[in-house]
Amino acid sequence: MNDHWTDRLSEYLDGDLTAGERTALEAHLAACGVCRVTLDELRRVVARAQALDDRPPAADLWPGIAEHIGVVSLAARRVDGRGRRRLSFTMPQLAAAAVVLALFSAGSTRLLFRNRPPSPTQGTTAIMTNVGMSPLDARTAASVAALEENLARNRGRLDTATVRVIEKNLGIIDRAIRDAQSALAADPANAYLNQHLAQETRRKLELLRQAATLASARS
Amino acid sequence: MPYRITHMELTIPRVATLRRDPDQAAKDAETADAALAASGDGRAFERLYRTHVARVHSLVRRMIGPDHADDVAQDVFIRAWTKLSTFRGDAAFGTWLHRLAVNVILARRSTVGTERSRIDDSEHVWEGVAGRPAAPEMSMDFEAAIGRLPEGARQVFVLHDIEGYRHEEIADMLGIVTGTSKSQLHHARMALRRHLER
Repeated sequence: MNDHWTDRLSEYLDGDLTAGERTALEAHLAACGVCRVTLDELRRVVARAQALDDRPPAADLWPGIAEHIGVVSLAARRVDGRGRRRLSFTMPQLAAAAVVLALFSAGSTRLLFRNRPPSPTQGTTAIMTNVGMSPLDARTAASVAALEENLARNRGRLDTATVRVIEKNLGIIDRAIRDAQSALAADPANAYLNQHLAQETRRKLELLRQAATLASARS
Repeated sequence: MPYRITHMELTIPRVATLRRDPDQAAKDAETADAALAASGDGRAFERLYRTHVARVHSLVRRMIGPDHADDVAQDVFIRAWTKLSTFRGDAAFGTWLHRLAVNVILARRSTVGTERSRIDDSEHVWEGVAGRPAAPEMSMDFEAAIGRLPEGARQVFVLHDIEGYRHEEIADMLGIVTGTSKSQLHHARMALRRHLER
């Protein structure tokens, strides 16, 4: 059996009827058992749809994606015979390691280029220059900016000692980046400097990412 | 309230031994991974893939069927990789990826579903899904029943009842009016109610 109101039951269920239509339909439902049963079935269809489980593909799609975008699968690295160990560090160990690495990076650049005149960009925020930026540089700068904004927004969730360590390390890395940029201004084709700048930028991204992850924690 | 860090995992930050809101922590970790991936970090992108592949693949499978699901789901992630710089973190990464997936699916439907769409609106297509099964053991799996809906009704049903889009959004995505979206949804529900578990 089907009547005029049967076709409006989904709209009723979704709250899409006007107040007048709703009142009229509810009056009809009180008298029509068929529509009441249909409405209950429609409710169950919606509930069933919302309870559907997501299933992964039968075969992993990542190898094809990784090949297409030019990256190596984590799984492939794990089965290549070298088998990386998962490392676990305490925060003091992590902080100490970051300081040592950053000092080494900054120091090596200074030693190599201490006789060069200072760059006009020295003293400004590292990385954030639009002059001569490649698309990758621009994306990196945007990522750094997003993560710095995230850290600034959530730093209140971290204890002050942690913030001090993070900021100290960021300062060291920023100096290394500025030094590399200054040196590159004088010698743009220097492969070591370009590699060093990219490495320091990645290090900054990683530190900011760790900081963002820590800051996301809530007590 | 500030907390003090005692221990953390470097390789999988999300399992750091901290007390946290799991949802917010996961969202922030994904935002960070998206930023890393946008800078070219393949490992970060693989983490995002592993988190979202089941949802993306299920969406694709329900929208255009199993035959092309792997190809299209793969395309979604490849497109996401190239578009990562447009993700600003205003919404959750999953929301951004999901909308991108819908766009890829709808773009592909013109090639994948052309032949079927020509006959999907005819009355006999409804008969295949609307007929009540003769016996419980013959009852069609609910997902399979969705797959046998006419293309337009299936897409509206998936987008509205499974994915939670509003009729106005669906109408905009599919290039139809909201009245058509509502009508297609009702027809789909009426057909599928016959395939509920009893």
